[in-house]
Amino acid sequence: MQILQTPHPITTRRLSEIIAHGPSGEIRVEQFLACAVALSRQLPDRRYVINLATDRYTFLLGFCAAIIAGQCTLMPPNRQRQTLLALADEYAACYTFGEEGLSNVEHFDGTIDMPTSDAADLTIPEIAADHLCAIVFTSGSTGAPTPNRKYWETLRVGTQSNIDLLMQNIVGRLNLLATVPPQHMWGLETSILLPLFFDVAVSHHTPFFPADIADTLESLPEPRALVSSPVHLNAFLSADVDQLKIDRIYSATAPMSVELAQELERRFDAQVIEVFGCSESGIIARRSTTSEVPWQLSKIFRVDVSDDRVLIRAPHLSENVILHDLIELIGDGRFRWLGRHQDMVNIAGKRGSLIDLNHRLNTIPGVIDGVIFMPDENSKRLAALVVAPALEPSDILEKLRPGIEPVFLPRPVYMVPMLPRQETGKLARKIVLELFAKTQRSRTLENGDPADNSS
Amino acid sequence: MPPQSEHEKEVAELIIECLNLEDLSAADIDPEEPLFGDGLGLDSIDALELALAVTQKYSVQLRADDANVEEIFGSLRNLSAYIAENSP
Repeated sequence: MQILQTPHPITTRRLSEIIAHGPSGEIRVEQFLACAVALSRQLPDRRYVINLATDRYTFLLGFCAAIIAGQCTLMPPNRQRQTLLALADEYAACYTFGEEGLSNVEHFDGTIDMPTSDAADLTIPEIAADHLCAIVFTSGSTGAPTPNRKYWETLRVGTQSNIDLLMQNIVGRLNLLATVPPQHMWGLETSILLPLFFDVAVSHHTPFFPADIADTLESLPEPRALVSSPVHLNAFLSADVDQLKIDRIYSATAPMSVELAQELERRFDAQVIEVFGCSESGIIARRSTTSEVPWQLSKIFRVDVSDDRVLIRAPHLSENVILHDLIELIGDGRFRWLGRHQDMVNIAGKRGSLIDLNHRLNTIPGVIDGVIFMPDENSKRLAALVVAPALEPSDILEKLRPGIEPVFLPRPVYMVPMLPRQETGKLARKIVLELFAKTQRSRTLENGDPADNSS
Repeated sequence: MPPQSEHEKEVAELIIECLNLEDLSAADIDPEEPLFGDGLGLDSIDALELALAVTQKYSVQLRADDANVEEIFGSLRNLSAYIAENSP
């Protein structure tokens, strides 16, 4: 990374513009800044903070106040208590921020005495390019969470790239709602960082159910944007809404089908933009799912493909990034996505390694042999075939659960007498799938044919 | 384990069917135990699938304040009560 020592302001927005839709209405940049500066002076004097805020505006305030105070936000891969406690243990100089904390870890809930100062007194804080603003941890099932450092330069330049890539042809202030949490890189880049540098006002809500997403969007003025994932968007189509206009729908974390994109565009008179990236690199490319097959790379990234390895480079990144995807460069800064590395699976925006999962399965006491696999491309869940005469599927799940993300727990787990390994010990995918289908059929017969229930 | 009401039994069957929990039967779900996390071990993908299935079967659109999603799925009893209260 080329570190330039020039500091840059924490926001380039005009003070009178709207940065968020908060619990009591629109929040102007000047109100936000006054709050963030005041908050930065009252934060615990610690080096690291885990920002657990579920209210997005509270997260934004806490995140920026920490940067102004010279602190670094730790972004855990999930909110599981076990993960958070392990992180708090490793970074002993940390506290938690948000509505609720953890027992035994210093907590700050963000409520402060607001100074009654004039907006005219407000100076916009300048942040050093090499200030370490955040450490993003990626885990999935790849073992211990891996830290990825985000300097102010990384976040600032990355956001400029995202504005070029995602904010074309937007007239007026964009009112944005995200269904993904701000603690995930996709949510951070869009719902927290964009409003600091572009005319975006973000909703403080993170609705989950389709009906709540629709209501919250309706309460926002046009033009509106929705930041989400294919899983949420698919469910959102079931919402009972008519005549809701969503100007832009941004989707990431998993590939989106053209059918889903077409249906979203038709129902909501929207433009669907799919986004490509990972926690380590941030957003690197985009496409309009309904009209483009190739992805368009942001100009600041250099991509090298050699054999199966894809290397991403950019001056603002703290290190080069190896992608867990296979791509083909086709010129003009465009590429085709060919698939994921065979070992990698992606479920609910979490990346996991099948090698690691299989290692965990096969080291459970009592397991003689076993395999965890993705039954087909459209599956949302992994499945497992296990040889363990003395164990039940529930025993297997109980042993797997403590070490891995819940989304990677296989479902179903079938117990089988043996796995048809070749002489070399290799287990061909085709054979695994055949055994899986056969086991499934025989269980269906045992339990009565569910096809009869379809009437 | 506390007994399930008829309605809870019906919702338990919907959960098993919708989420492919083949190793469980409806009667195995303790009406007062958490459905997510440490209880049945369900996650947010399950929550969305279950919300869809509930909407289809009972014409109930699930709604929750941002932080209260977990409350509805807090237990089979909570979910069943929510459905009963909000059924048209």
